[in-house]
Amino acid sequence: MVSRKKSQKKVKKNVLPVSAAKSARENVQTGMELETAYKIKDEASGKKDLTAGGKSVYGHEGFGRFDFIGKNRYWVIVTTVIILTGIVFFFAKGFNFGIDFLGGNLMEVKFKQSTSIDELRKEMESIGYGKAILQNTDADRYIIRTTPLTDEQKELIINTLDESIGIERPLIQDRNVAPGFSKTITRNALIAVAISLVGILIYIWIRFSVRFAIVAIIELLHDILLIFSFYLIAQREFNTTSIAVMLTILGYSLSDAIVIFDRIREELRINKRDSFPLIVNYSLNKILVRSLTTTATTIFPVIVLVIIGNETLKDFSFGLLVGILSGTYSSIFIGAPILIAWNKRFPKYKK
Amino acid sequence: MRSRTTNIIIIALFVVIIGVCFYYIYPFQSSIKLGLDLEGGTQIILKPLETGSEEVTDESLDKAQLIILNRIDQLGISEPLVTRDYNRNIIVQLPGVDDPERAIDIIGKTAQLEFRILESFDENENPVLGPVLMTGDKLSKAQAGYDPNGQIVVTMSFTAEGQELFGKITAENVGKRLAIVLDGEMKSAPNIRQAISGDAVIEGIATLEEAKDIALVLQTGALPVNLEIQESQTIGPTLGKDSIRQSLLSGIIGFALIAILMVALFRGLGLVSVAALIVYIIIFWGILAAIKTPLTLPGIAGVVLTIGIAVDANVLIFSRTKEEILKGKSKYMAFTEGFRNALKAIIDANITTLITAAALYRFGTGPIRGFAVTLAIGILISMFTAIVLVRAILFLIVNSRAVTPGFMGIRPSQIAKLTEKVVKEK
Repeated sequence: MVSRKKSQKKVKKNVLPVSAAKSARENVQTGMELETAYKIKDEASGKKDLTAGGKSVYGHEGFGRFDFIGKNRYWVIVTTVIILTGIVFFFAKGFNFGIDFLGGNLMEVKFKQSTSIDELRKEMESIGYGKAILQNTDADRYIIRTTPLTDEQKELIINTLDESIGIERPLIQDRNVAPGFSKTITRNALIAVAISLVGILIYIWIRFSVRFAIVAIIELLHDILLIFSFYLIAQREFNTTSIAVMLTILGYSLSDAIVIFDRIREELRINKRDSFPLIVNYSLNKILVRSLTTTATTIFPVIVLVIIGNETLKDFSFGLLVGILSGTYSSIFIGAPILIAWNKRFPKYKK
Repeated sequence: MRSRTTNIIIIALFVVIIGVCFYYIYPFQSSIKLGLDLEGGTQIILKPLETGSEEVTDESLDKAQLIILNRIDQLGISEPLVTRDYNRNIIVQLPGVDDPERAIDIIGKTAQLEFRILESFDENENPVLGPVLMTGDKLSKAQAGYDPNGQIVVTMSFTAEGQELFGKITAENVGKRLAIVLDGEMKSAPNIRQAISGDAVIEGIATLEEAKDIALVLQTGALPVNLEIQESQTIGPTLGKDSIRQSLLSGIIGFALIAILMVALFRGLGLVSVAALIVYIIIFWGILAAIKTPLTLPGIAGVVLTIGIAVDANVLIFSRTKEEILKGKSKYMAFTEGFRNALKAIIDANITTLITAAALYRFGTGPIRGFAVTLAIGILISMFTAIVLVRAILFLIVNSRAVTPGFMGIRPSQIAKLTEKVVKEK
């Protein structure tokens, strides 16, 4: 609202219509609300009849129902706050890495009778595993996480717990990972991410332009940062599956970006009159129903999994949930503004 | 654009494909091979250790895989799977094993058998051994049992060449002690009283079980490379069942919600796309059953995601079609334009996702690979069901009176606006 008043004042000062039109264009590009910008443009060009098509190629539709571009700065703040919180958590707590990253042993055990974390802790302390991470997953079901175990050590733990509380066989799960093994997993994941990013970059470069390709990559990096932040803040376990989740989200977010790019490109071809920011905003509005519908349809099963799934499924669907939301969000609120800012600085498409 | 006959042929083709899929899907219970994380079982990842100057070759890894497979066979475990990943780790999968510890033990044993002369003991009572005189590769048979004194032993027979060599070694070293070393550990060191041309025995074994394991690994031969267990994972059957049940339930609820949303937004068009989605699921199921790729938990995530992708294609097409109608185009033109305009975006988006899937498959390990496979299959099928099938159905019915703006989910108020505009223009 403040910016609207300011810019109107500015217009009144300007005598020449040409410069007013120019300032209007600049205002759109600097992120001023589009509606205001257009009023100024119309006043400057002397066209008062808004319905007669003097307003824009889009006629009565105007710039679209929602002003995505004008309110851009608020979204930048939202993203920055989340990522900064993530960074704080990174230094304060760090990732809650799974054993596939740290190495270690994880057993999930169903006991023959009900027990408690305290009782388990006491039993574990008596054989020197007081530092084990204990977690209740279901009625009488517990996860016991320790450092990597030899067969003898494992037997000692199982026998001790079996004698005192009673364990049902076979164990629900039992996993032992040598420390240092994650080096290969991490390296593999990084290679996979790098290769797919390069592949995507080249493909979008060929199909669209280098500008779109780089913006797409920035969006993807944003999504990765955001997912990292949520894993850090919620202290959800980060494991190999989380990496698969990340890569999935890359694919998903990219589809979203491409659908929007495709629409912008198409509108650029048809519309030779309006400014770049206006065309982007119009395209975003046109694609909005699709974006929301797709997000909804993808997210339904994931939400159900977050609610009813077991621990493994929860960790995994949690990442998907955050990623899908972030993917939709980034293509609208991160990718498009960057395209506009870039085009303002180095005009390639019309202004 | 396309003739009526073509559309009917396309739909008929899909009916045939569905029929073929049902052939693979039936019987339902056993149609899809489940991964270890869903079925329960043990997975072991072994990393080859570079020892000294010797480089680990692909041939030696092939041989190691074969030996491991032999050892598992001896244990009587059904349907074992021994594969190698991108990092040249050997991955052993054993579905539904009751006693994974023993299997893990046996699989990882190098079983490097050496015969050396025991020269003396150092101050820490550690044996000082002479050079290797003979190795386990000249063994023809190994058997666990009891010797006449009731001690547990493993009796080893040699090949003809081995017998000769063993005879020579023992003849040259009468009066000394012959150390039998297994994987760097001296198992026994009997005195050589005379030249021996027959069998040799390993003593000093605690249990018959251990003796049987030693015999088994000696019999199947030493691994040409030293392997270190990096990860062993056992999933009990309950956890897998839980995961399947929860994934299925979320799939069903998710599908219902998707169907409701699609019909609410696109009415008749939505119904067509839900039908296409059902066809999609049937074909997906059929292909998974036919190629026998195990379905893993991340694989299920892939399925969930591709359902989103399949619906997305329809949402894109339908929103474009609606837009074209609201611009005042005829039904036929609107559908043609809707498909044409949406297609580029759909194909671009799907190809980039395929790039990701390919990178995942090439560089991923275990479960991530399963995910990449389902993702790729899903994208390819969805292109057929969501585009080709939906297109054929819609163009078949486009000119019927049933296809009204309401059928496409266009609101009366929007129609009123459109009529107003048309009247104005006239």
